[in-house]
Formats: sequence, structure tokens, C-alpha cells
Amino acid sequence: MLGLACSLVAGTPERSVIQIFNFSQQPVWDAPWRWQPVRREGGSGFVVTTNRGRRVMTNAHVVSWGRQILVRRFQDPRPFQAEVEFIGHDCDLAVLKLQDEAFFEGIDSLEFGDLPEVRSTVVTYGYPAGGEQISYTRGVVSRVEMQTYVHIGNRALLAVQTDAAINPGNSGGPVIQEDKVVGVSFQGVRGLENAGFFIPPEVIRHFVKDIEDGTYHGFPQAGIRVLPLQNPAYRRYLGLPESGGQGARIDGLGEVPTTKELLRPDDVLLEAGGLAVASDGTVLYRGNRVAAGLGFQLSQHGERVPVKVLRDRKEISIDLPVFVFEADRPAGSQYDRAPRYYVYGGMVFTPLCQDYLRTLGRDLGDSASADLVYELFYLRAEKPEAVRPEPVVFAGLLNHAVNANFTARGRALVDRINGVKIERLDDVIRAIEGGTGAQHLIELAGKAGFECLDRAEAAAANAMILQTYGVSKDRRL
Amino acid sequence: MNRNPFRETTFRDGAVRTGRPGAILPWIFGVLALGWVVWSTPAPAAERNGRSPLEASLVTVEVTFKEYDLSQPWNKPTRSVRKHALVTGERELLTTAQNFGDRTLVRVQKGGRGRWFNAEVQWLDYHANVAVLTVGDDGFWRDLKPVALAASVPRRSEYDIVRWRDGNLEQRRAEFSKFTVREGSLTFAPRIVLELNTEISGLGWAEPVTVDGQVVGLTMSKGGNVCSVVPTPFLRRILEARREGRFGGLGYFDFLWQPGENPATLANLKLEGEPRGAIVLDIPKQAPAGYGIQRRDVILEVAGFPIDMQGDYDDPEYGHVMLEGLATRDRFAGDTVPMKVLREGKVIDIQYTLPKAEYRVDLLPLHVFDQEPEYLVAGGLVFQPLTQGYLRSWGDDWRRQAPFRLVYFASQAPTPERPSMVVLGQVLPDPINVGYQEYRHLVVDKVNDRKVATLADLKAALKEPRDGVHRIEYLKGDSLQRMLLDAGALEEANRRVLQRYGIPQAEVIAGASANSAN
Repeated sequence: MLGLACSLVAGTPERSVIQIFNFSQQPVWDAPWRWQPVRREGGSGFVVTTNRGRRVMTNAHVVSWGRQILVRRFQDPRPFQAEVEFIGHDCDLAVLKLQDEAFFEGIDSLEFGDLPEVRSTVVTYGYPAGGEQISYTRGVVSRVEMQTYVHIGNRALLAVQTDAAINPGNSGGPVIQEDKVVGVSFQGVRGLENAGFFIPPEVIRHFVKDIEDGTYHGFPQAGIRVLPLQNPAYRRYLGLPESGGQGARIDGLGEVPTTKELLRPDDVLLEAGGLAVASDGTVLYRGNRVAAGLGFQLSQHGERVPVKVLRDRKEISIDLPVFVFEADRPAGSQYDRAPRYYVYGGMVFTPLCQDYLRTLGRDLGDSASADLVYELFYLRAEKPEAVRPEPVVFAGLLNHAVNANFTARGRALVDRINGVKIERLDDVIRAIEGGTGAQHLIELAGKAGFECLDRAEAAAANAMILQTYGVSKDRRL
Repeated sequence: MNRNPFRETTFRDGAVRTGRPGAILPWIFGVLALGWVVWSTPAPAAERNGRSPLEASLVTVEVTFKEYDLSQPWNKPTRSVRKHALVTGERELLTTAQNFGDRTLVRVQKGGRGRWFNAEVQWLDYHANVAVLTVGDDGFWRDLKPVALAASVPRRSEYDIVRWRDGNLEQRRAEFSKFTVREGSLTFAPRIVLELNTEISGLGWAEPVTVDGQVVGLTMSKGGNVCSVVPTPFLRRILEARREGRFGGLGYFDFLWQPGENPATLANLKLEGEPRGAIVLDIPKQAPAGYGIQRRDVILEVAGFPIDMQGDYDDPEYGHVMLEGLATRDRFAGDTVPMKVLREGKVIDIQYTLPKAEYRVDLLPLHVFDQEPEYLVAGGLVFQPLTQGYLRSWGDDWRRQAPFRLVYFASQAPTPERPSMVVLGQVLPDPINVGYQEYRHLVVDKVNDRKVATLADLKAALKEPRDGVHRIEYLKGDSLQRMLLDAGALEEANRRVLQRYGIPQAEVIAGASANSAN
């Protein structure tokens, strides 16, 4: 009775904090028709109001690959079914819709506050491992910086470090200051004690605004590499005072056509998104020095960011359109979309992605795998003209008499099939199905060699191979 | 997967030798510790009564050499190891070439104890892994007797390994495992290797292997329980050819192949009959005119030996071994090898000329011996040639520990535009390089708009600054693309950096007289 009374007192956000159970199942990336065992993962969330009504906000990683998501209210034993309505894997946020609106009865939505100041105190709410009940931890805001969001792995966004304990299960729970949500707990750093990280209101608001139109786009990027400009000779050369603290250097441009048109290497970035850029490549944002990339991330996909650069010693103002960059998605972790594949003659073809590479384990360091690593992570920067839109790997071999004498056993990039250059998985199918010779000729990249399949024998063996290895369909596209 | 080791498996030296038994102090302690065990068990020690014939032929060699630290290429630390050599002729000692690179002093000792005599290297070849030494002092040769190297290796289930241990000759048994063709200890060029199985520790220091009283090989490495041995027929051929002035270096096959195991592939290449042969996957980008071999040829016969579906031939002495063995079996670099290949359904006779195994054929040379490490310091930026030695400074597990991109380059072939690479090894902090001090391991693309493949290129390019700055550009994809250095302040900065960091000279460039700082 006492507990219930306490919880009814105004200013107790715990009533709005939700416990989440996700029964998830991830694919087997090198045998993409199979699924790994179901895992039960716990996390936290909280009730918010979006333009579509009341929802539960949590981390993307709490609900990824979900087969069933159950949520529980504060001190309420009943499980409710929820489903993912929007998920942002780049910012590790998601909102869940409840099948039964009654879930929200008697719960207030939490409101968002502003970026908390460093040294100020925050309290995390959540359901971390080690017990069943809600847990609170208090800590101070240690610093605010751009951090890699490990859920996707290849994006860095604004994040806040705190010494409040953030443990597995805390993920998705609110970080509260003066009854307002000033963050969503989301990750820690191995080896770093008393340091947890939460997603700040800037990123949360960006996500909430992004989904207003019913589609999640993501965080845009300018497609520039900004590096410090502190060498005296370099500063002088670009027309800046040697000892001045302003201006960072655009060292390189990525594959974004509008950016390549509007900006040049060695432009000095003076302002990004209204924030003055310093010579160490940072901007001052609410009292925190953070990487200048922030100046572009606060905008939405397709918006224009005001940029000021120094070029040929003249200041130029540019409205730079920024877009969500999708081309390097395979280099980050994959979610929610079952891997595409095609099986023919026992050869398993699937698009190259980071999750596939992880299946190689320690073999990843072998020179045979180096071609795959290079293709996925380095080729884009080094030879953008040579990048295949969807590199395909010959992931493995389902043994059968038609392929029993293969020297290549998989783990190789596919270069050509029957003379067709393989730029994407569809090319594999087109090349195989369009083959007219007595053999299919499969050429692998690098030093992996080439193999032939007898066309008639492979066609005759396909059904048996699929049946033997329990592959219900020869393709998922 | 191809079985051709010529690029994939050239990095085994160092990794294969267990521990580091060559360092003098541990070696001596090792002898003492092991000695107790050996003497307390009666059987395997050297014959105590009849003296072993090798006592008068086997000598100890101590080699002191510079073991450069490529993270500070101007430093010249030395290390000493002890190994063995055999008296094989008039004032002639034979041993392996390992550890003779960058040597500063060679000494020999007979009888496993007593006085050391200065020795000199008369001739060596790193790829063949052969070194011939001599000693000027007549006293050394007294009581020593040459031993003959066996012309063939009799097949036995066991062989003896002989070495000096604490002044006594130790002779212990090792089991025969197999003959195989693979790269040598200092080279990517494959050759015949005898593998023995033994638990004897600390082998690989040119200990002679004997059977029926004949010397049949010298050990070159040990990994796990496998001791690798250079068979004497291989050594004899090289020594004979050298004496007759026809040793042109070790040859190798510079094409990439895969075994002709897949009948569908062979049918596609129009080969009839049983699966056989080696399918050529790739030939060097810079193959000379008249190279002969083409991609997709099926090699059916090499030097008169049929090639089977595994890519092996049946060697009359060594049994089934990889076709690469035919590049060194009875030929040297520059010799031609007759081959029969199937091309477009027709059998064609080809004369393949064996290229010489040289370190510079790799984009990142496997070794650079007998030459001080090259470097050039400019404004505190330390530029070095990118070599496999540079990568090995990350330790035995350098393939996983060193920056991925540099490791990747180690598996790439040189091109006419980029025959070699120069890397920014580190930045020695100085006012001129503020802003660059955390960068390292970047591969140089251009300096002052000139392509850079060697330090000589870099040095020439640094003579042409524009607009008062040197413009250093790194390979696309590196973490930084460009650096500018104040050209007017460079000379002064160089003086300052050399003095502050105790670097004797601003550059060491092979083939050029090194300039001092001032």
C-alpha cells in the first residue's frame, strides 16, 4: 500500500518507465536461410507522446531482430504486446506501438528537457540485470562529445558521458533531470569504469521530428572529412593568421555529388550550421567542444545547412544540402532485414556485409579474407570508381557430387559469372539463369581462382541439394 | 584456394623458429638445463666410446649482426647467435645463410669448446640459404677433416641430428615425416624441404642431419614438433654450380595456379581424359615479352614430368611434391624449363625462363639485408620504405596487429606506377610539424606533385617546393590526405630535430652517399 501511495505522488517518473522483453532471432550470415536460436533480452523504455499518439521510446538495439516484444508497466505484473513502429539504427532509438492502448492508462508521458550541463546531476531509470525491480542510479554529467554509436558501428553522433551506472538492461531507459528526459541510456565502453553513455535530447528530438512524416530517414552527413588546421605554414598558406584559433581544413570529400560540386579540398571550414568551427576541427556547442560534424547532423535529410568557408582567401557562404548516406550501410551492423541470398549448385551467394565478415572469426586476419575486408571498408575511400554497389560473396559450399571437386570452398568475393561482372546479387541470378554454355564459369576476385559447374548436372541437382540441406527456397531477394 | 605458396606463404621465417634460442645467454642456460636431462638418461646422448666422425668436421659459429629497429631506423643494436657449420672442403665451412644478414662479426670454434677464430664469409645466397665461410688462421684447420655431403637422401624412418652441447657432441634421433616443397626460411621461392618429427628443442641452427654416417641435410627451422631440413642434394647442386660459375640465383615460378581437380573446369578448358594439370590463374602484370604462359593454360608437363590433378609431380628422389620443386630441382634462375600446356584444346610446347628470386620483386620486400635501414627525416617527418620488415615490427602476429591497409599492401603486386612504397613512419615533434604530430603509418602518394615510390623520389621532390611550402600527399583513403611544410624553415628545423632526438644523419638512402645534417 505504501509503495503504491508513493508512486502516485506527482514528480515520480518511474511510473512512466517501461520494462521491455525482446525475444529476438538473428540470421546466420554465412548460411542465410537459417536463424540462430531465439534469445530473450531485457531492456527499458519510457512513455512519450508523438504526433501519432502515445508510444514507448527505447533503444533500437533493445528491440532489433524482435520476434516478439513484451512490455510491462511499473509494478504491474501483466505483459503487453508491442511492435516496432519506427526504428533508427544510426541513432539507436526506436518507438513501439502498443496493441492495447489500455497499457497507457494512468501513465503520464515524459517530456524532453535540454542538454544537461556538465557537472550537473542526472538520475537513470531502468531495469538493469541483477534484479527484477526498477533501479535508479545518480551521477554527474562528465562530458559531452561525439561518440561512435556501437549499435550501427560506423556512425558517430552526439553523446553524453556520465558516471551513473549504465548496465545491460538499462538500455532505452530515461535519464532524468528535474522530471524531464535529458537522455536515453544506451552504451558503455569496455574497460572504462564508471562511465556510461546516454543519447542527448538533440539526437532524440531529431529522431522524433524525422518520424513525423511517417518515415524514418536518419541523420544526414555532409560527406566531408574535416581535419584540424593547426600547422602554422598550412594556416598561412590558406590565408589564416598563424596563431588564430578559427577554421578547420576540409581534407577530403566523400561520394556526395552536391558536396563535391559545392566544396573543395583545402576549403577552410569557418562555420557549419551556424556554429563557428575552431582550428582543432570542433565547434562550441552549449559550452562543450565537439567535432564539427555536429553542425551538419542537427539538420534533417534533404535540408540545407548554412556553411561558411574560406577559399582562395575569400569568405564564401554556401547552403549545403545534406543527405542520409546509405552506400556504406553494409560496412555497419545489419538489422531487421533478413540477408539476401541465392543458392545454386550448392554454391551460396550473399551480399558482403560486416555481419558476414564477423562469421569468419579469427580467420578474418588471413590474407584470403583481406580482399573482403578491403572491398568493404577501404575500396570506397581509395578507388570509389571501382566500388560495386552490392559486392557478392561466395559464402560457402553445400557439398554435392556436382561441386565435390571444387578447390574454392567459399569466403571469396565473386568477380564474374559466365562473363557477367557481378555488381549485385541480382547479377548472379541473371548470369546463372542466362548461362548457355556447357559449364557455368564462376570467377572469384583476388587470388581465389575460378570454378566451373556442369550446367546440366547442376540444374538437375539443385532441388536435391536444397532438400538435403534444408534450404526451403533457393533465394531471398 | 590455390596451393601455390609464392605469395601466400612467404612470411613464415621468424614465426617458425620457436623461442629465440639464438640469443647467447639463454642459449647457454638452455644447454645446461637440458644437459642434466640428457645425461641422466642413458640412451640418446652422443656415442661415448668411439668418437663421432663429425667431431672433426662440425664447428660452432657465432654471428653478431645488426638487428635494426625500424621504429628508430638510425639505431644500430646488435645481437649474437650461435649456430653450426660443417667443414666441407679445403678451408671451407658450409652453413645456412640465416642470421648472416647485416653481420658485423663472425667467429668459429672447433670441438665445441676453447678458442674462437675470426671467420669471414666467402660467399652466401639468402634465397638459397647457403653460406660458405673460411678462416685465415692455419691453426684453426689443424685436426679438422672435411665431410662429404650425401648426393641423395636415403629413405629411413629415423635420422640423427648432431650438435655441440656444452663441449660434447650430442646425437639424437628424429622421425621422418615427409619431403615437401615450400618456401625457404629467407625466401618466397619454394624448394625441397625434409621435414622431421622430433621433440628436440632449440633446433634450426644448421645442425647436420645424418643417416648411415652420411650428412644428408642442415636444419633451418623448427615449429611445433616439425624440424625443417635443407637436404644436401639441394646444397651440393648450388655449391657445384657456384664453383663452376653457373649459379644465377634461385629460380621460381612467378605465375599463380590452382590444381586441375574440377572436371567441369577442365571440360571448360577443353581438356579431355582424366583430371590432371595445374590451371594458370594469373601471370605477373609486368610479364616480359615471350613469357609463354597465359592465363587459363593447363600445365600438363614441366621438365618432362607429368603434373597430376593436385599440381604435384612424382620426383624420383622425393616422391609426390608440388610442381614448384621443378623450378629448383636441377635449374637456376635464367635457365629455361620446357613445359607442355593445354590452350584452347591444343597442347603447346613452351620454354619458360626462370626469373630470379629477389626481394625487390615484391611491392613490400620480404627482407632488406646488408644495407642500413633507409630513412629520410624532413621537418621531423620520418619517411621510410614500406617493407615486410617494417610490418614485422608489430611482432609475430603482425598480420593481425599492424594497420590493415599496410598488411593488405603486402599481398599486392607492384605496378609500373608503384613499384614500391614510402611510408610516414612517425613524426618527431618540432614547431614546424605542429598539427601533424599524431599521424603515422601513412603511405606517401606525391610530394610537390611528383609521384613517390622511393626515398630517392622523395628527396628529389623536396627540391621543388612551390609557394614556399612542401606539399605532401598521402594515398587516398588514409586518415589524412595532405600536409604542408614550411619550405623556408625546413633546413633549420632539420638541424633542430636531429640534434634534439640524437639522430646522426638526416637520411640514409641506398645507392646514394648519405648526407649529414649540416
